[in-house]
Amino acid sequence: MPRKGVDRFVVERDREAVVHLEPGVFPAGRQAEWSAQNRTVTFAGHPLGGGVAVAVAGKAAREQLGREVRVYEPDQRVYVWRAGAAAAAGERLAFVGDTHAVFAALQSIMEAEGVEVGIDSMLRMSALYREAMLRQVRLLQGAALQTEFVAAEIDTFQAMHAVWHLFEVVYLATNAPGLSTPAAPCFVEWLNFNFPAPPAEDGRRLLDGAPDADALAQRPGLWPYARRLALRGHTQALASVLERAAPAARLSAAAARWARELAQAGRDMPRGSGAETAGSFNARWRQWNAGLQSAAAAIRSLAVADSTGGDAAALEALCAIADIMRGDADAVAAEAETWAEMLGAILLYSEPTAQADRLPGLALVVLEQFQTTDFTLLDRALVALLSHDLPEFLVYCGQIDPWLPAHLADAMDHIGILDICRRVLSVDPRDHYLIALGEAYVAHEDTWRAGLDYLGLCRTPAGRSVLTECAVRIPLDSDRKAQQVLRACDKYGLGEARAQIHRQLGRQKWRRGRLGAAIGHYAQAADDQAIGAICDQLWAEYLESGTLAYGPVIDGVLAAGPHHHDRLRFLTRYRDFYECYRAGDHAAAAQILLSILVDETAPPHAVADLLVDSIPLLEGDDIVFTSDDTLALMRCAESLVQSPFPTTAAATASHGELSVFNVACARNLARAFATS
Amino acid sequence: MDSLLSQPVARRISSVRWLPPRAGSAYTDSELYFASGSQAKHKELILWTTENPDFAAADDSPPDGRSLATPVARVAHDGGVEQIVAPAPDVVVTASSHGALGVYSVAASGADSGLALRGAAAAAHRFGNGEPAAATGLAAQPGAGADGEVASSGEDGRLVCARVARLDALERHEVDSTAVTGVCWPTAAQVAVSTRAGQVKLFDRRALGDVAAVFVDPSHACALECIAAHPSQPFRLATGTDAGGVLLWDIRSPRQPTAEAFNVHDANVWAVQFHPADPSHIVSCSEDASVAVVQWLPAPDAAQPRPVRRLASFFNALAVTCLDVCPYTRAGLLVAGSDSGNLLMDRAGLT
Repeated sequence: MPRKGVDRFVVERDREAVVHLEPGVFPAGRQAEWSAQNRTVTFAGHPLGGGVAVAVAGKAAREQLGREVRVYEPDQRVYVWRAGAAAAAGERLAFVGDTHAVFAALQSIMEAEGVEVGIDSMLRMSALYREAMLRQVRLLQGAALQTEFVAAEIDTFQAMHAVWHLFEVVYLATNAPGLSTPAAPCFVEWLNFNFPAPPAEDGRRLLDGAPDADALAQRPGLWPYARRLALRGHTQALASVLERAAPAARLSAAAARWARELAQAGRDMPRGSGAETAGSFNARWRQWNAGLQSAAAAIRSLAVADSTGGDAAALEALCAIADIMRGDADAVAAEAETWAEMLGAILLYSEPTAQADRLPGLALVVLEQFQTTDFTLLDRALVALLSHDLPEFLVYCGQIDPWLPAHLADAMDHIGILDICRRVLSVDPRDHYLIALGEAYVAHEDTWRAGLDYLGLCRTPAGRSVLTECAVRIPLDSDRKAQQVLRACDKYGLGEARAQIHRQLGRQKWRRGRLGAAIGHYAQAADDQAIGAICDQLWAEYLESGTLAYGPVIDGVLAAGPHHHDRLRFLTRYRDFYECYRAGDHAAAAQILLSILVDETAPPHAVADLLVDSIPLLEGDDIVFTSDDTLALMRCAESLVQSPFPTTAAATASHGELSVFNVACARNLARAFATS
Repeated sequence: MDSLLSQPVARRISSVRWLPPRAGSAYTDSELYFASGSQAKHKELILWTTENPDFAAADDSPPDGRSLATPVARVAHDGGVEQIVAPAPDVVVTASSHGALGVYSVAASGADSGLALRGAAAAAHRFGNGEPAAATGLAAQPGAGADGEVASSGEDGRLVCARVARLDALERHEVDSTAVTGVCWPTAAQVAVSTRAGQVKLFDRRALGDVAAVFVDPSHACALECIAAHPSQPFRLATGTDAGGVLLWDIRSPRQPTAEAFNVHDANVWAVQFHPADPSHIVSCSEDASVAVVQWLPAPDAAQPRPVRRLASFFNALAVTCLDVCPYTRAGLLVAGSDSGNLLMDRAGLT
């Protein structure tokens, strides 16, 4: 039975805080008054930094609005609030670029290899993700301006690395199907990498300031440092320190001997290898551990006997070190400052062969020693991971940074453990977090393209729906960006979004007077109505100016490919007529004009003008219209007059012009009959 | 696919251009300089220096791939930097997403390097309704240096020419009803442009308002994204298409131009260039995040497919938007920029 429901997934409000934005939309402490006026705000957080954009929605009391008014305009003002040095947020671009590349490569690799053979690939990709986090930490640490924001970013990335690294230890390095790797070495490596202790500078200060054993033994920090080395499993370093201190004159011969014995034990600590069987390793381990037990007992009896002597501190420390190394839980608990340290020491000295499936049980034992209420968000995420409580783990990760659960859920999905979460959550966690991350990236001018990929690689309809909504809302600042958005639509099969974007581009170009480009975009969107409207505009401009200037527009449109729109065909044919007429080829011009009229290529509102255009040809010296042609022209005029839409059909030609046309037709008909 | 070296620079690079060496130092410069322009959040012109591979010792280990070049000067740019040309060692001209042309003085001398805008930027491209139009192409008149002219193209369909020294005296001509996507100078007296309608238009510099010739390849009806001229054969042009192809044009016969297509990419080709040291190769970059080098000269065996070399970086998943091959090194050092915020380089020699 699932222990946790959707509410745990979405309602985690530990990090919620009430802040008053300065400058803000209303004075501090006047929220009640403000909300009583029926005003509210909409806001969007900056995807990469601490900025928030706030807009006021609702500017009038409800009772002041008519019953029919359901939506009212928001204030035409957006307040932008920046937390700290939000300018540094752009520094995440390198991290976004690197991890997006790894994410995209991972999808292709896993798609090609499948889960069964994909763990090695996952490990490689995991290392690349971690390298990107570490590089970002180094970049931030090297930033010229060390602000509070940069410090917070460093903490965030270090926490992200700690979480990801432990995930790698638990699920990729030790717990993968078919692997029987002990967890201890990996866990201790994780612990010492992410939470290094004791600090290296402590060791340098201790050893560099002590030229000989006597000076070293007199330093107060020697024995606490040695105990910390033992706890963290730095047995080689511990051996070196003990060997350097052993010859000190202030140590008794017995204490010096045990220091050397423990140093040797540290050097001899059994380490497992792939070539050794478990039985052989366990035998060696038991022997080593028994030696330490004897040593601990002997040192303890010495310490009891010499409790007031000059060796007391040394013997007590040596006893503690021996106890830690033999895996005594009390000694470890006394020395450990954090649960992770204690778990690491227990794994290393008590459970050296334990595999990852023992971690939840061991973690439970360790956590009983600590106040979990004092845990940080990072602690909670790590504990949830060790406990294999993946839904809770993802929730805590989401509170650390939205990048983390998106990529972790994706990795979990690839190695086949995300179904645990799917059983207890009503939404697909991978897509839920990928959508959140993708939406955040899409909103940013530097990362929008990566955001589309995150959305496009979702597998549920929700992801596709958000992708469609986002794609059509990306600002089309330039022609190249428009092409990139359209290419992304092609990549993810967003036909409807593509058409919508073409319509947006068509409107944009039309507004800017780029009519050829506008027709091209409307043609891609199959928006015949808009194309017709633009063609009508071109025709109207021609009628108004008397100069046919739309030729380049038509040329540009047709050069891009054939277009089968009636109005375009009409304008093209009319341009041919115009050019033939200007070139003095009246016979060809007449045939083109006649074909435009007879084939009904011309829109109804242009017919009258075309008939008027035929007058000079009818009245010319040469007969270019035969009797049949003339009768056809007269039929067109008759249709025009009898048109059920007289306002659109005959409005553009005056009654006088049509009379002239009729006379010209009659005369041309007579001439044509006479000639034939 | 071969690997490009990459260096994250945390800004979307939209243009790169090598600076010509100073007179008398062409064969002794151990440091090379190039300029990059970025857009989106960081609109900057940056001057970089990188080691000249011709001077690298034989036992030098290759760069670690993350510090290919060092920025030595930077200046904020009004609008995204769409194009850069460097007509002289101490001058670069930029074309912006606001349609403005700017001339920058360059001092490329190690730590004392600097960039400074000379005078005010000139508004070159504007739509009919007054909105600024992004510049799409910029090319410097060959062989004229800082005394010559630059030609720019824009989304407003205009071709603009001006002397580098007199940017305020712009000569504007509307040459297409769709966007003009690129411009180049086949000779010092000819300008060629590519259009989104799939045409190449040729102009005589002395009569820019009249199209001298229009070339269309009906067998490859696709939009053209960029254009480049052969360095020594003015009748040969290369264009990149929105379908991922590179078209090689021979316009010796204006009535029967030939266009040979090379399908080297999977998506829009954003820049093409004839390799300056070996013009039998065309270098191109694309939305598919790769750089391609194709040998267009017919192979001895005509049945053999033309060799195409593809280069990409694992850490670069987004479009490679610009490139430039350094003509001042033996191997031809390639620098490119990408939407992922990476500077990409190939030091091994493209051909």
